[in-house]
Amino acid sequence: MRTDELIDLLAGVVRPSRGAVARVIGIALLAAIAGSFVVMMLGWGLRPDLRAALSTSAYWMKTVYTAAIALAGLALVERLGRPGARARFGWLVAAAAFAIVALLAAGELAALPQTQWTRDVMGQTWSRCPFRIAVIALPAFGATLWALRRMAPTRPRLAGAAAGLLAGGVGATVYGLYCQETAAAFTAVWYTLGMLVWAAIGAAFGGRLLRW
Amino acid sequence: MALRPRAKRVDDVERQLKDLMIRGLAGDAAAHAQMLHALAGRLRGYFGRRLGTQAVDVEDLVQETLIAVHRKGHTFDPRAPFTPWAYAIARHKLVDHFRKVGSRREAPLEAAEALWSTDDPAEQTARGDVARLLSALPERQRRLIQDVKLTGLSIEEASRASGLSVANVKVTLHRAMKALARRVRDANG
Repeated sequence: MRTDELIDLLAGVVRPSRGAVARVIGIALLAAIAGSFVVMMLGWGLRPDLRAALSTSAYWMKTVYTAAIALAGLALVERLGRPGARARFGWLVAAAAFAIVALLAAGELAALPQTQWTRDVMGQTWSRCPFRIAVIALPAFGATLWALRRMAPTRPRLAGAAAGLLAGGVGATVYGLYCQETAAAFTAVWYTLGMLVWAAIGAAFGGRLLRW
Repeated sequence: MALRPRAKRVDDVERQLKDLMIRGLAGDAAAHAQMLHALAGRLRGYFGRRLGTQAVDVEDLVQETLIAVHRKGHTFDPRAPFTPWAYAIARHKLVDHFRKVGSRREAPLEAAEALWSTDDPAEQTARGDVARLLSALPERQRRLIQDVKLTGLSIEEASRASGLSVANVKVTLHRAMKALARRVRDANG
């Protein structure tokens, strides 16, 4: 086909598309939260003392951290899905959120005798926490990839990592409704690890998953 | 100072195409077509400079990029400039092309304005080289080289234009070519 004919063809199917990116991302975010919540309810349910936990600072320390990571991932997906857009802000937010939790963890450990450090970091569930977060985040990762494929990521590895960060943040935030760990040191290590699982997978396979 | 008109041209392209793009996104088919037409010309130059203008793939890449610009138009942020957006898509298609044909070539990441460049850098360098070589020749030899070798006059026509005899033109040309060859050898050695 000649290029002129192609252009006529394309111009014949023009339709207004204002706000399409916001709509796609909004749908993906709702699907991510709902999907992760369903997986958690099927697999683990809510913590029995959830009502009491909602008034503890430990619960909110974890939740604000993981929600900040999710928001950073959201901002990055919105940027990296647009060709030529700069995407520094999201990485800074994610790094700052981690830095704050790492500082809280350092302060927490400094106040404890060295003999209790291992127990503080490992908690009761260190061996299960990252795995559970990753499982809960699976539908969130799928939803985010769906959204990115409807956009136009020209840096697919970074975009894949951003999708994983968003999914991990959502998954970890939802998992906070079940997990009874309270230590900042535990959160800084195992929650972070769980959230990075899909980010690493997204970075590794972004080139193939996000081809267009 | 030579940069001034060029920078202005680039700004004009940006402003014009962004305006058309925004109108196209609002549903204006004529503006959309106009934007695609203007973009097609620039893309042909961009891909041509990367693949060689004779490459059969150039027009395929132009069309693929136009389709991508059309299908992914909703990812254009009206608050952001148009040039980096269009450039990122074009370069993405070029990288994808190199991957598909199994080429190890890379698409260099330039300033996005490279997309609007209308001159062929290789050709420009060649033209500059020739001009530099010629400028070192005596006036009469330079005029003959220009007339016969570059403009394409026959020996007879050059003879008439310069007032030299045909035999004299031949001899002068011969000397000029030898002088040029020597200069090229010296320059490369």
